Amino acid sequence: MQSILADYNYWIYILLMMIGLYAMLAKNNLVKKVIGMSIFQTAIIVFYVSIGAKKHASIPIIAHGHGAVEAAIDVAHYANPLPHVLMLTAIVVSVGTLGVALAICLGIYRRYNTLEEDDIQEQLQ
Amino acid sequence: MIWQLDLSVLTLIVLCAFATIMVKDLLSAAIIFGAYSFLMCLLWTEMGAVDVAFTEASVGAGVSTVLFFAAIYQTTRMVRPRRSAQWLSKAVGLTAALLTGLVLVIAEKDFPDFGNSFSPASLHLSPYYITQTLHDTNVPNIVTSVLADYRGFDTMFETAVIFTAGLAVIAILRRIKKNDRYELPDRSVISEGYPDTIIRFVTRQIVPFIQLFALYVVAHGHHSPGGGFQGGVILGASFILLAISYDFKIVLGIMNEKTNILLGNIGVLIYAGIGFLCLLLGANFLDYSMLSKVLPATDTVMARSHGMLGIEIGVAIAVMAIVISIYLNVASHGKYDKGL
Repeated sequence: MQSILADYNYWIYILLMMIGLYAMLAKNNLVKKVIGMSIFQTAIIVFYVSIGAKKHASIPIIAHGHGAVEAAIDVAHYANPLPHVLMLTAIVVSVGTLGVALAICLGIYRRYNTLEEDDIQEQLQ
Repeated sequence: MIWQLDLSVLTLIVLCAFATIMVKDLLSAAIIFGAYSFLMCLLWTEMGAVDVAFTEASVGAGVSTVLFFAAIYQTTRMVRPRRSAQWLSKAVGLTAALLTGLVLVIAEKDFPDFGNSFSPASLHLSPYYITQTLHDTNVPNIVTSVLADYRGFDTMFETAVIFTAGLAVIAILRRIKKNDRYELPDRSVISEGYPDTIIRFVTRQIVPFIQLFALYVVAHGHHSPGGGFQGGVILGASFILLAISYDFKIVLGIMNEKTNILLGNIGVLIYAGIGFLCLLLGANFLDYSMLSKVLPATDTVMARSHGMLGIEIGVAIAVMAIVISIYLNVASHGKYDKGL
């Protein structure tokens, strides 16, 4: 119980990943599949940001400016900025992939007049 | 970090994820997904990742939801269950999800403890960034200095990926020839926009302030959360707001297709151009310290700070243009005549 509570971020990320994967595989509607893909992406982002989190740490912006004491910077006092950078760009790229995925959905709708997977398969055969 | 808050937000996130997958109405699914993104944003603020939270608030909760709306508006709203072999697809999906979950649960034992300051990810590279950023670049926001300076290559190609996504959307959806056009069912009652005075008045008043705020976010990214990506998305979102509350044509009048593609190009070229300028001045690609030779009254440290500002501006221009371009194409089904 102790270990489960201590690592709940990791458990939630596993759960979200499973939900996203299930939606991508089992759902019939293409927009639902795209939503599943987005949930899968955010699950990975949760994982990365959780790895960079530190207990009792501040945000990764160094205290400075007039009146601030020029003390030696304590690394443990600031959250790990590297996963933040990687995930920040990943989120912006995810809106690009979302746009392309929705564009493909619209293209399919234009041609087959449906977004349901089994209907498209029927028309393909 | 408050673990009670963490736990409750994570529980709500899982509930939202379940609901958005299970609900039969796609419009509701999109709205619940917006709520999911806002909760994510809360979670990241709580874990200290303020820049990530800012990006999620503008991109995930804002623009993504609008893109879903636009796509649903152009297609169908209700989901129909599979006609045959429904149990088969459910079984396959569940098996794959459970297997993945099982593998991940087994791997979870080897993960570092949550919130440990001495986990391997926090030991090797990030201490250098945290301790040296003020000394090297004079930029207190470590995320900005890593994004734009230490890992500048990464961000440059990330911007190029956004640009490519915009081009891909145009290539897939855009229809220029008359006979090539897919005729939409006429929904002009909604697409023309019924003149709601209150919404239009508020939008007209608020858009300049949104844009001013976006410029502040770009310019102040060195000292506070924010930067080129967030500012660019907010700038794009202000135009999308205009298109939703007024008319599709208004935005097309300001940001037509040519302008969008041109601005996207210019943004990426500003980024690469600053890199090449450093190369010409005798330093490595994207090594801004050499810019002190051309910028007046700057030493090598301040030059790195100014170089970062330059590329953030490039990123903002590119992201703004591409977000608007993706919205215009998805909302009008590539026809640019009427839309959400």
